[in-house]
Amino acid sequence: MSILVIAEHDNESLKSATLNTVTAALAIGGDVSVLVAGSQCQSVAEAAAKISGVSKVLVADNAVYERQLAENMLPLIVELAAGKTHLLAPATTSGKNIMPGVAALLDVAQISEIISVESADVFERPIYAGNAIAKVQSLDAVKVLTVRTTAFDEAELTGAASIEVVASVCDAGNSRFVGEEVAVSERPELTSAKVIISGGRGMGNGENFALLEAVADKLGAAVGASRAAVDAGFVSNDMQVGQTGKIVAPDLYIAVGISGAIQHLAGMKDSKVIVAINKDEEAPIFSIADYGLVADLFEAVPELEAKL
Amino acid sequence: MKVLVTVKRVIDYNVKVRVKSDNSGVDLSNVKMAMNPFCEIAVEEAIRLKEAGIATEVVVVSLGVKACQEQLRTALALGADRAIHVETDQELESLNVAKLLAKVIEEEQPGMVILGKQAIDTDNNQTGQMLAALTGMPQGTFASKIVVDGDKALVTREVDGGLQTVELNMPIIATTDLRLNEPRYASLPNIMKAKRKPLVVKTIEELGVSIKDHTKLLSVTPPPERQGGIKVADVAELVDKLKNEAKVI
Amino acid sequence: MSVYQHPYKDVDFVIRHLLEFDAFCKENNLADVDTDFANVILSEADKFAAKYLVEQNQQGDLHPAKLVDGKVVETPGFGDSYNAFVEQGWPSLSASESFGGQGLPNLFSVAANEIWQSANLAFALCPLLGQGAISALEKHGSETLKAQYLEKMISGQWTGTMNLTEAAAGTDLAAIKTRAVQKDGQYKIFGQKIFITWGDHQMADNIIHLVLARLPDAPAGVKGISLFIVPKFLLDEAGNPAAENDLRCISLEHKLGIHGSPTCVMSYGDNEGAIGYLVGEEHCGLRYMFSMMNHARQGVGVQGLGITERAFQGALEYASQRVQGSDKAGNDIRIIAFGDVRRMLLMMKSGAEAMRALCYVAGFEYDKKSVAADEDKAAVDATIAFLTPIVKGWCTELAQELVSLAMQVYGGAGYIEEAGVAQHVRDARILPIYEGTTGIQALDLTIRKTLLDNGAQATLFIEQIQQCVDDLNMLEGAGDLQSALSSALDDGRAALAWLAENPKQADSVAAHNLQLWGYLLGGWLMAKSSIAAQQQLDKGEGDSEYLKAKLVTCQFYTEHLLVRTKASIASIKAGSEAIMSLSEEQFFSHVN
Repeated sequence: MSILVIAEHDNESLKSATLNTVTAALAIGGDVSVLVAGSQCQSVAEAAAKISGVSKVLVADNAVYERQLAENMLPLIVELAAGKTHLLAPATTSGKNIMPGVAALLDVAQISEIISVESADVFERPIYAGNAIAKVQSLDAVKVLTVRTTAFDEAELTGAASIEVVASVCDAGNSRFVGEEVAVSERPELTSAKVIISGGRGMGNGENFALLEAVADKLGAAVGASRAAVDAGFVSNDMQVGQTGKIVAPDLYIAVGISGAIQHLAGMKDSKVIVAINKDEEAPIFSIADYGLVADLFEAVPELEAKL
Repeated sequence: MKVLVTVKRVIDYNVKVRVKSDNSGVDLSNVKMAMNPFCEIAVEEAIRLKEAGIATEVVVVSLGVKACQEQLRTALALGADRAIHVETDQELESLNVAKLLAKVIEEEQPGMVILGKQAIDTDNNQTGQMLAALTGMPQGTFASKIVVDGDKALVTREVDGGLQTVELNMPIIATTDLRLNEPRYASLPNIMKAKRKPLVVKTIEELGVSIKDHTKLLSVTPPPERQGGIKVADVAELVDKLKNEAKVI
Repeated sequence: MSVYQHPYKDVDFVIRHLLEFDAFCKENNLADVDTDFANVILSEADKFAAKYLVEQNQQGDLHPAKLVDGKVVETPGFGDSYNAFVEQGWPSLSASESFGGQGLPNLFSVAANEIWQSANLAFALCPLLGQGAISALEKHGSETLKAQYLEKMISGQWTGTMNLTEAAAGTDLAAIKTRAVQKDGQYKIFGQKIFITWGDHQMADNIIHLVLARLPDAPAGVKGISLFIVPKFLLDEAGNPAAENDLRCISLEHKLGIHGSPTCVMSYGDNEGAIGYLVGEEHCGLRYMFSMMNHARQGVGVQGLGITERAFQGALEYASQRVQGSDKAGNDIRIIAFGDVRRMLLMMKSGAEAMRALCYVAGFEYDKKSVAADEDKAAVDATIAFLTPIVKGWCTELAQELVSLAMQVYGGAGYIEEAGVAQHVRDARILPIYEGTTGIQALDLTIRKTLLDNGAQATLFIEQIQQCVDDLNMLEGAGDLQSALSSALDDGRAALAWLAENPKQADSVAAHNLQLWGYLLGGWLMAKSSIAAQQQLDKGEGDSEYLKAKLVTCQFYTEHLLVRTKASIASIKAGSEAIMSLSEEQFFSHVN
């Protein structure tokens, strides 16, 4: 078996999602190489070479790959797919953007967001927002997979893979990066944070999220929200944790004023430890929380901040 | 410009999903079905493009069982002009859907195709991207804003950690994210009008696309249940438990 | 917060299988409508209610309309919901196409009304009463009046009210004192009306009041009452609302429930007189009012259904989550496992389903009338006239019991406002009172609709129910159901015979007669539902879980609700002896 993992990076640093994906690749077994496609991304390639279990790092370093536009990435990956049995990418917005097209050009299926590797061709993945788990067997010669990073540990960084340059330059010429607005925050990103504190409709309004931010600052946590809070206009959609928002699995998830609608639970129930603070004793969130506190959040949250 | 929009019939998102006891799948018999929420956003975007004078015609397409026509009628009631139903009782994998849609695109020659980024049943998030690859059209996935400017489109995409804007040569494939718009409801007069709008039924054979299975579903099981823990009396006890028992802070 | 989901499967069953609506459409060449289309419309109505009305229901309760500087300001948010309601075209559902309506069957309107009433009863009263005003105008107004007012009332841009009651004229409308005076070729209205639902608000550009008033030369009593249109704003040349008319809301009532619905004291003609326009002919107002009364009364019956369904769903949700006690193995027991809780839930479920069947059957009669040949219309009218007091009286009374049972399921938590069921209990209480009290409905049924036609209409229903008893032969294992329905039907026959012999005692026993007929018709429709459900199951069609539940629900209804005809007939046969024998003094004898 010969596996290619597409690295997630920003041309400067390798994103940890790549490490989770390599762990999934290693679970499949066989030779694992990593593709770093970017621009001026030598440092990323060097970081990737340190991932334990990786035999080779392929580097396609060209301006056309700077933003990893799908239109340019597809021909490159399809070319490198020759002889590969598995192509893996993390199920990030980048991986999800690129991999289905690769599968289509190879005339194979993509199996999305796998959460376990049962064998080289059998994988488990959540469907119906995590309300069911499907066990799927690939019938294709090449398996194209995206990997739910929260389901796999990060690979270690004790390796020393060789780095090989890929010369191909693919420029489809029909798409162009124009700009980006990166959410500027001192806090970690939701999807990679170790601690998350989220607010729901019970927060009452957007200003009250300052209470959560104060706790987040003490814990180095990211701040999230339930769909109800987003729908109510308290906070923006990119903070939404849940079925239609971001899927997270931090070490500690603190749900404040969140009733625990099924859509929300789908996005956070794989967290290691869940804390729920809600004044409604009957709120469904308590049925999955490790620690439940029935209290008025407007008293409990400032007190929590003070005690941390 | 003609805009083609895809619409999928899925379980209503309010319905609690039940896994069949023989683990062969999810029990969909007699449950409430509805238009996939991301497809509703796609339909809404197309109608807004038409209202803004950018699109001239909105064509909606659905693939699947006869009952998909209900969702097509809903799309027509929302303001789409005509509908195409590719009728089949077969479960279609994303790649097969993309191939069939590519054929429809070849016939219809739209200036833009808008799809939901994913369906809330299979959660695959791949048909739009596959369709782009098969047709060679550039893709603006997870769109939160679509601006058409002559023969180019500026698509703002929801990416991890923020927003990214790309410029794409028309015609394009766009897939919708939640923030793109807030879908409207069908008004009663428009529901009435929708009954008279054209809906063409086609078969896979008529489209001349050969399809095959690429995966096999071995089983569907309920997710492991997470057990509830304990209730703490106050904040002090909570902090103590997190520090000393769970050791997460 | 109380939940609500549209009971779409039961609605589909009633329309498709109980009413056999699709066969009706085919027979009458109604190409555009069928049950599937009803489902399309209702699922959109459901979405609308979920977004705009369901949660706002509690807002109305907590933040009632206020009278500010002489103007009624409705519950915050209601205005936006109303605008959306109008924009989406809901008020025009079954109104005539010639005035911009959608011309859909009345049955669809009844089914949509159920959704509005479940979602937000106080809000939904506004369009419900507007319907009454529209139909009075449509039937009896001059072409000029119709051209000026109807389209905008049908679209909902303008709302309508009904002004009947005065301080000294409630049930007895003969006593009304509001005057209409002809001056300068115009009618000027002077007087005060009370209990005017949605008499003022800021949600619409104009409010069209239908006002009963007496002309100076009018004969005494009900034959001297005329009906006028009195708009809040007079129309300019272009037909747009312009100058304020001489009318205002002078006070709002503080009520037990439906806080979101402003109940106004309206004053007409404090200055130079409110300008009114005569509807139809002078002195015929009461007749016109009654022509729309059937429709409005059926609408109130649907309110009884709607609030029962809503309260039931809340109680069901609670019972399926609330844990009390544990079994021997230490597993939690949810209270839905307990027999008495199940009994209460089934009372609500079977009661709501029987009410739904009856309300839809009665509403469907209007559609039958619209396709009937002219010579057959009178017969349908008679059916409607017979069913209306039962729909109104029985459904709203049963709603009291069932909504109260919903609270019972919650135990102490239900008595606390946060659970939401308390609002339903308070809101429901008006239903057997307004639009004609239960006592009035009972008299209407027993005297006007039964004794006056020598039991002809009642006999027609008895024949249909007998047919159903015979049809139950087809249903395997339905022996108990058949004998129960047959026995209840005998009670109906006995009541009719007793009334014919004792017409003078009718007013004392009318309430029992009304209840008897309510439970009997409910039992008939539930039995018909059983047959239809079993046929579906035999054919392997439909949702078997729903259909099997239907059979059990029908069985429960038969065993627990249909049997109430026994109590009714016993009380009827007891007659008025005890009721009328106490002197007034004796009523006070325990305290004097």
